[in-house]
Amino acid sequence: MMRATRALLLVIGVACGLWGLWLMRDFTGEQLRSTGLWLIAGAILHDAVVAPIVVALGVVAARTLPGRLRAPAAIAFLVWATLTVVFFPVLSGEGGKPGNDTILGRPYVASWIVMTLVLIVVAVVAGLRRRRRVSSARES
Amino acid sequence: MRLPTVADIERHIPHPDDFGSRARGTTLTARVGTALGIAFVICFVTGVWSGLQYDTPGWVPLGPDPTQLYRWTQGLHIVSGTAAVPLLLVKLWSVFPRLFIRPPQGARALVVEALERGSILVLVGAAFFQLTSGLLNIIGWYPWEFSFRRTHEAVAWILIGALVVHIAVKLPVIRDALTASIDDDLPTDAEPADDDATDPDAPTRRAVLRGTLVASGLAVLLTAGQTVPLLRRVSVFGVRDGEGPQDLPINRTAAGAGAVDAARDPAFVLEIVAGDRTISVDRDQLLAMRQRTHRLPIACVEGWSRSADWTGVSVRDLLALVDAPADSEVVVTSMQTKGAFASSRLLPSYVQDHRTMLALQLNGETLSLDHGYPCRLIAPNRPGVFQTKWVRRLEVIA
Repeated sequence: MMRATRALLLVIGVACGLWGLWLMRDFTGEQLRSTGLWLIAGAILHDAVVAPIVVALGVVAARTLPGRLRAPAAIAFLVWATLTVVFFPVLSGEGGKPGNDTILGRPYVASWIVMTLVLIVVAVVAGLRRRRRVSSARES
Repeated sequence: MRLPTVADIERHIPHPDDFGSRARGTTLTARVGTALGIAFVICFVTGVWSGLQYDTPGWVPLGPDPTQLYRWTQGLHIVSGTAAVPLLLVKLWSVFPRLFIRPPQGARALVVEALERGSILVLVGAAFFQLTSGLLNIIGWYPWEFSFRRTHEAVAWILIGALVVHIAVKLPVIRDALTASIDDDLPTDAEPADDDATDPDAPTRRAVLRGTLVASGLAVLLTAGQTVPLLRRVSVFGVRDGEGPQDLPINRTAAGAGAVDAARDPAFVLEIVAGDRTISVDRDQLLAMRQRTHRLPIACVEGWSRSADWTGVSVRDLLALVDAPADSEVVVTSMQTKGAFASSRLLPSYVQDHRTMLALQLNGETLSLDHGYPCRLIAPNRPGVFQTKWVRRLEVIA
């Protein structure tokens, strides 16, 4: 049963992928090159740049941060970093439409600074409360 | 001095076991991956649905009801794509050490490994492609040479295909991981150096999962106000704040569409064509016809939407002027001289519905130039790009 399910899924998956390629059959060379570049760029940028930086930050944090702050800092960083990626387009200052102020009309950078500060405060408060919990657990 | 050998270089490449964090683990990967898979499937289904609006085969029952359907499907498309970003990043983080697994011995095993890694590269590449191109498209930033809509559609099929292949390959692991407690280690997990195993200060797997879901939820809350009215004040990172002249955002301005001169021309007449019959009506004549008011949304493919009160003349009432039947198919043509979608096709199901109108007023005021003065199309359950503005001609084609 498992074998049959997996085989069926494989066939469906490959068929979908081939259909996607078929939809590009009339793309020009320039469009295909650009598509290929954008297809590969994300994976390379992640594996060669972003992921090693995150690993390095983790190592540095483990050596420098007080123990009780480490877990809250890691989770706050997770939230901050992934949200910063999500909001990168609106923070970039790019995009928009000339003469149209109904798009991209919010103070995104200010919101991002506030978000960053809030996450720092949350991480520190969580770290301090954690110490209290840990020390009261030790006393009892 | 001798040159470094392959073995020397290999010694400096980390092994999966070198990554200390106990938060990484198959049970976390499977949970985040399941959420990500659900988000991608929602994106895919709603995306294919959106694609069908552009190129509608006869078997698709496209019509004006439910009025808010496209608003929901496209809102959901952008919301689930936004929610997917933190999920994808954490999913990749959780399996990053596996990138350093050494190739297996034996030709057959090598081929299998290469195929699996190849399929994962396609999956990751396509996932980044879809999320990046989508997020940039909704702010109107196009730093590429391909057509967004066609390529986003093609890569969607590649992404969903690679996802299904990935699920097929990993199905036994996924089953084991989802039935195990999140704190359990599975045989697929790397063996970390022993002192890390009991590090009490490191974040737990459970905390990472919670943090990921919080990030994903915040990403939605802080952007979805462009389509969910209740969140309008909360969504400080939304591309649209829902405001605009006459309480409605604008996608294309009259200047951007090259429609200013024609739209302002006092000699404007609307042409209604059926076969060899053509009649012209000016705006005063339109205003003298039976006016109807309906509350209908503009639901943009870019994921923002907002309802408004539209007042104008039903398209079917206009067709009656040339004795065309109410179940006609109609092409609506704009005065715009620049940009795509200068005309749109109205299927008979829309034409029959009297809520499909040429609007003359918006929220109780005369339609402003950027909203499509002198008259614009508004119909229920229809992507914003087909709500043709600055209409100059209705032509019955079938």
